[in-house]
Amino acid sequence: MQLTWKDIGTVPSSNDMLDIVLNRTQRKTPTVIRPGFKIQRIRAFYMRKVKFTGEGFAEKFDDIIRGFPNINDLHPFHRDLMDTLYEKNHYKVSLAAVSRAKTLIEQVSRDYVRLLKFGQSLFQCKQLKRAALGRMATIVKKLKDPFAYLEQVRQHLGRLPSIDPNTRTLLICGYPNVGKSSFLRCITKADVEVQPYAFTTKALYVGHFDYKYLRFQAIDTPGILDRPTDEMNNIEMQSIYAIAHLRSCVLYFMDLSEQCGFSIEQQVKLFHSIKPLFANKSVLVVINKTDIIKIEDLEQSSQDLIKTVMNVPGVEIMQTSCYHDDNVMQVRNKACEKLLTARIEQKLKGTARVNNILNKIHVSTPQARDELDRSPFIPEEIKALKKYDVNDPDKRRLAKDVEAENGGAGVYNVNLKDQYLLDDEEWKNDVMPEILDGKNVYDFLDPEIAAKLAALEEEEERLEQEGLKQQIFDAKIKGF
Amino acid sequence: MPQNDYIERHIKQHGRRLDYEERKRKREAREGHKISKDAQTLKGWRGKQYAKKRYAEKVAMKKKIKAHEESKIKGPSKPKEDDGEALPTYLLDRQQQNTAKAISSSIKQKRMEKADKFSVPLPKVRGISEEEMFKVVRTGKSKTKSWKRMITKHTFVGECFTRRPVKMERIIRPSALRQKKANVTHPELAVTVLLPILSVKKNPQSPMYTQMGVLTKGTIIEVNVSELGLVTAGGKVVWGKYAQITNEPDRDGVVNAVLLV
Repeated sequence: MQLTWKDIGTVPSSNDMLDIVLNRTQRKTPTVIRPGFKIQRIRAFYMRKVKFTGEGFAEKFDDIIRGFPNINDLHPFHRDLMDTLYEKNHYKVSLAAVSRAKTLIEQVSRDYVRLLKFGQSLFQCKQLKRAALGRMATIVKKLKDPFAYLEQVRQHLGRLPSIDPNTRTLLICGYPNVGKSSFLRCITKADVEVQPYAFTTKALYVGHFDYKYLRFQAIDTPGILDRPTDEMNNIEMQSIYAIAHLRSCVLYFMDLSEQCGFSIEQQVKLFHSIKPLFANKSVLVVINKTDIIKIEDLEQSSQDLIKTVMNVPGVEIMQTSCYHDDNVMQVRNKACEKLLTARIEQKLKGTARVNNILNKIHVSTPQARDELDRSPFIPEEIKALKKYDVNDPDKRRLAKDVEAENGGAGVYNVNLKDQYLLDDEEWKNDVMPEILDGKNVYDFLDPEIAAKLAALEEEEERLEQEGLKQQIFDAKIKGF
Repeated sequence: MPQNDYIERHIKQHGRRLDYEERKRKREAREGHKISKDAQTLKGWRGKQYAKKRYAEKVAMKKKIKAHEESKIKGPSKPKEDDGEALPTYLLDRQQQNTAKAISSSIKQKRMEKADKFSVPLPKVRGISEEEMFKVVRTGKSKTKSWKRMITKHTFVGECFTRRPVKMERIIRPSALRQKKANVTHPELAVTVLLPILSVKKNPQSPMYTQMGVLTKGTIIEVNVSELGLVTAGGKVVWGKYAQITNEPDRDGVVNAVLLV
């Protein structure tokens, strides 16, 4: 699935488009024609021009139409996001206008080629060509507004962050100015603007981080105000769509100090009004700005008010301070944990997935064919061993214990030579030179050296015994 | 990864290059030089295009300057004649035109009206020779016979027209050159509508062409104006109306006509 649309080709303005295509025709088709030529040649000359121009326009339009994503094929999240940002109907109408212009131009080209076949003179043919190109130009000029709009959409679309709707996601939402962006800055490397006024963030921002060797994306959303969704503006709707469509862990941010300009009561109310969107999602309420005020320092009534959010099943409250970088990582880890467990649960719930695996597994239980007892074989040695218990002071010493004693993982080096099986125990830790006298020892190493030596010695002994015979043999040779 | 308005954000954070304004000013100041260089050095097709564009720009600018100057000098174009005082009732009725002038103008008017009945927007047309109108189609096994003709102009054929057997057909009206509709302009309403042609009333070239339905410049055709919703004095909806062709259809590929009212 496509997540970014960075490589859509530029959409020229209608005037530029005309210049591009007509110039191309001028460059790439022959330019010299004389009235004395045969009429077939004159007709062919102008037919070629008309056809070439028509094809040029059609090709350009086709590129535009194919470059832009079909809004109906996208993930619902991207579809709704594009709907709020670019107005779905406007988008569709613009692309449809381009597509219609393409068919119209093809039709004009066809019609005039047909008329040119009956051209009687150079002048008439030229006039027909002129009329054909003129009509094509009129069609293109009418596309001025769709082109301008599509170019703007293209530029904006290319700069959208790449949000994967299916991956592990933390979604940060809440009222404006409660510290959503600063939290994102704390947990990821994303360079998001943080300013002390409301609606600094006007679009979705994405940052990435790793937890437990898994890649997570954190999404910062613009602030939401507590009002019905049909009254919300485009900026707020982006957050709403992100909450609604992304499988994520939602971090609802609250600011108890009320520096953001919204009372605790309002913030709790917003939570309850967007609660329906949290179905099937893990939710974490994060109390931000604890450097100013903590939940414990509040009046009892306010505390009770905040506690009402706990009525929603699965919601937990955590406190943090992005300013002091206090408890930020704990919040992040907690959220990630919640998300991971929720995802695993969801995976198990999905019956199709479980069945897929169960289909492949077959556990067979053999029928008993006789009375013989075929119990598993456990050596006596093992049976005699005491059961390993961590708390037992007399427990067996494991390699792990050795490691812990010698400085733990990373410091302690396992001595692999300890397990060598050699004739003499003392040889175990001997140093074996690799290079000796400038020669590689391994080049001269022979595993059967002992056997060979023994064979050689035996032969020598035998020869020594046979030495007498040899002397006689030598004498005989000398005699020849 | 840069996202959303990262360019604006960067400018906001770090500002622009120190010489940004200076460079911009200089570039703008030298723009005239660049235009003049282009105008002098561009050759061929590009040069032509450039000159045309420049010319249009200059004309537009001169017109604007002229309009501006005129508005400055003249002030209100028509000085008021009366100084705001109300005229007494006995003076209101006074005729300023003298009667002799009125009579002469009314006679002129009447003459014009008489002539108007028979006048059409295009009173004169170019003569078209038979050679231009007909192309000889050679037939026979060795292409020696030349009694067949093909009309090279656009034609209108009626709805229920069927061709004669090919062997007999003396005059061919190619189906590629047949027209069914015309862009008709209503001269008073100044609207142009695509209307179906009903018949060819008269081709000024020759009555034979009228019969064959040849559409040339100046031909009077009957068009179906029911879409326009014109109403007669009696209150009936007008169905067919005459119109005169104002272009050469074989050069434009379409028929343009002006309604005769």
